[in-house]
Amino acid sequence: MAARTKHDWADDEDIEETTNDLPPPQKIQNKDGSTTIIEYRYNENGQKVKTTRRIRYITHREVVSPLVAERKTWAKFGASAKDPPGPASDTTSVGENIIFRPSVNWKKEAKDESKDPNAQAMKDKLKDKKVKCRICNGEHFTARCPYKDTMAPIGETAPADVAAGLGDEAPGAAGPGKKGSYIPPALRAGARPEGDRLGGKYGERDDMATLRVTNVSELAEESELREMFERFGRVTRVFLAKDRETGLAKGFAFISFADRADAVRACQKMDGFGFKHLILRVEFAKKAQ
Amino acid sequence: MRPILLKGHERALTQIRYNREGDLIFSVSKDQQICVWFSHNGERLGTYRGHQGAIWTVDVDPTTTMIASGSADNTIRLWDVKTGRLLKTWDFPTAIKRVEFNEDGTKLVAVTEKRMGHLGTIVVLNINPDVNAEQSDEKALVIVCEESKATVAGWSYLSKYIIAGHEDGSISQYDAKTGDLLLNIPIHELNNPITDLQWSADRTYFITASKDKTAKLITAKDLEVLKTYTADTPLNSATITAKKDFVILGGGQAAMEVTTTAVRQGKFEARFYHKIFEDEIGRVRGHFGPLNTVAADPTGKGYASGGEDGYVRVHHFDKGYFDFMYEVERERANKLAQQAAQAQAAAAPATAKA
Repeated sequence: MAARTKHDWADDEDIEETTNDLPPPQKIQNKDGSTTIIEYRYNENGQKVKTTRRIRYITHREVVSPLVAERKTWAKFGASAKDPPGPASDTTSVGENIIFRPSVNWKKEAKDESKDPNAQAMKDKLKDKKVKCRICNGEHFTARCPYKDTMAPIGETAPADVAAGLGDEAPGAAGPGKKGSYIPPALRAGARPEGDRLGGKYGERDDMATLRVTNVSELAEESELREMFERFGRVTRVFLAKDRETGLAKGFAFISFADRADAVRACQKMDGFGFKHLILRVEFAKKAQ
Repeated sequence: MRPILLKGHERALTQIRYNREGDLIFSVSKDQQICVWFSHNGERLGTYRGHQGAIWTVDVDPTTTMIASGSADNTIRLWDVKTGRLLKTWDFPTAIKRVEFNEDGTKLVAVTEKRMGHLGTIVVLNINPDVNAEQSDEKALVIVCEESKATVAGWSYLSKYIIAGHEDGSISQYDAKTGDLLLNIPIHELNNPITDLQWSADRTYFITASKDKTAKLITAKDLEVLKTYTADTPLNSATITAKKDFVILGGGQAAMEVTTTAVRQGKFEARFYHKIFEDEIGRVRGHFGPLNTVAADPTGKGYASGGEDGYVRVHHFDKGYFDFMYEVERERANKLAQQAAQAQAAAAPATAKA
């Protein structure tokens, strides 16, 4: 009855009812010396939960020197004088479990793990995602592809030489292999009329043979762009738009070639090229209106 | 392993010592009290009250009958382990930074601070191992450190030498009887104080920890550096484990820089190195501040660490720790086992014939 008067009106009323119809906890001595304890309780959803625990008590005998045994019987003193036998909860507690396994290549393991909490979270997220290179279909990021400098991504128009290169490295990659891999709409073969993309190329063309590169990474540098485009011919000018305050790239750049033919080739090859985790879009610059 | 957290101190720990059998842990901190704990379950046996200042150091004699403590209240006090009774107080002009009993518990070496016009000294006191006996006031020996003050000191094997670590990073070897300086070798980087000096079980070699981010294993006889363990943080303490050939180093950013350091960056971990191969083999996390002191259980079962956060964490190693072996160690163990088996097999027929 005393318990009932203490019961606060704000408490969940179910508690009292539910505790009534729970079967009493059972203790069963098993033949093998262990004890099974069965307990019932309600979880927060009001469902009945049966907990079965099998416990085996193991008496651990340790032979200690008589000195140690004697010291265990010493009376407590000082600030602990009034403490009951056994560890006092205010001074002694048990910490969380620490897994400590010495290992020779400890540093390597720990580095992978502790590099960055974000990296770890990302790793967990991508754990069951397959990484697929857009250049050679291998299991690595496109940016890490050994062929990234020599080949264009496969989803692209795939000029003859690229296709030939692919044949060696990843047979069938161009066919059913790439089925199911996501291709951004901008890169889909039929998604965009050829004329649109290359509109500037043949129609209102720029005498300067200047390419407009968009979707450039914030971290890109002019020198990097120059290096990439110089493979196709002499580059006369590289302009990378940068934010005046932060110094980060704004995401687009202009590359001028000395020779128009080079520019055409560069445009073909570099459109859709993966650079710093972004896919470049390369087209001929339109004349200012 | 689940560490046992001992919360008996309100301020930063300064030193932890196990007794000889490894069943008791003595901890001292800046909060003026000494605590003694049972190592197996973390139960506090008692406290020793009386010091009026931060306690820098504690040591227990080999028979676990008396402990000595040195404090910033300029005293060394001797206590009865069993009852917490104060047996004797020695007064000094400056703070005591280190005390250590010799192997038979008849002598106590103490390091006094350099302050207020007093030079740092190393003092030896005679101790009567009988709890009820009167202790003498006299100092058996006083060594004055004129060059650089001593920070730590201890007794070598057979109480032959007193080895001291200095503020300038050098190690000195003194004759324990006469107090003559026999050797002084700059072992750690110049002006990186030696923060800890702990002995191997037989006191023939010791490990030093220094603010220069290294710990070194050094022989007592001729102060030869045997091994060097390089960490990435200033070290406050180093200890040698029994049973397994490991050393444990503790350190972290200095306490005053802690507020500007994240726990992860702070490197507040106990680092395990292989004693022979000098490789780092693992770390144990847990403290929220630098580790001021680490102590290994002389029975090899565990270790305890005390941090700036006021906690003592007592760890009992589990199986993985004891099983760990280098490939070469494992091969050698296997070879020895094989040889033993062969020898036994060879001996068996011989006895059968006989």
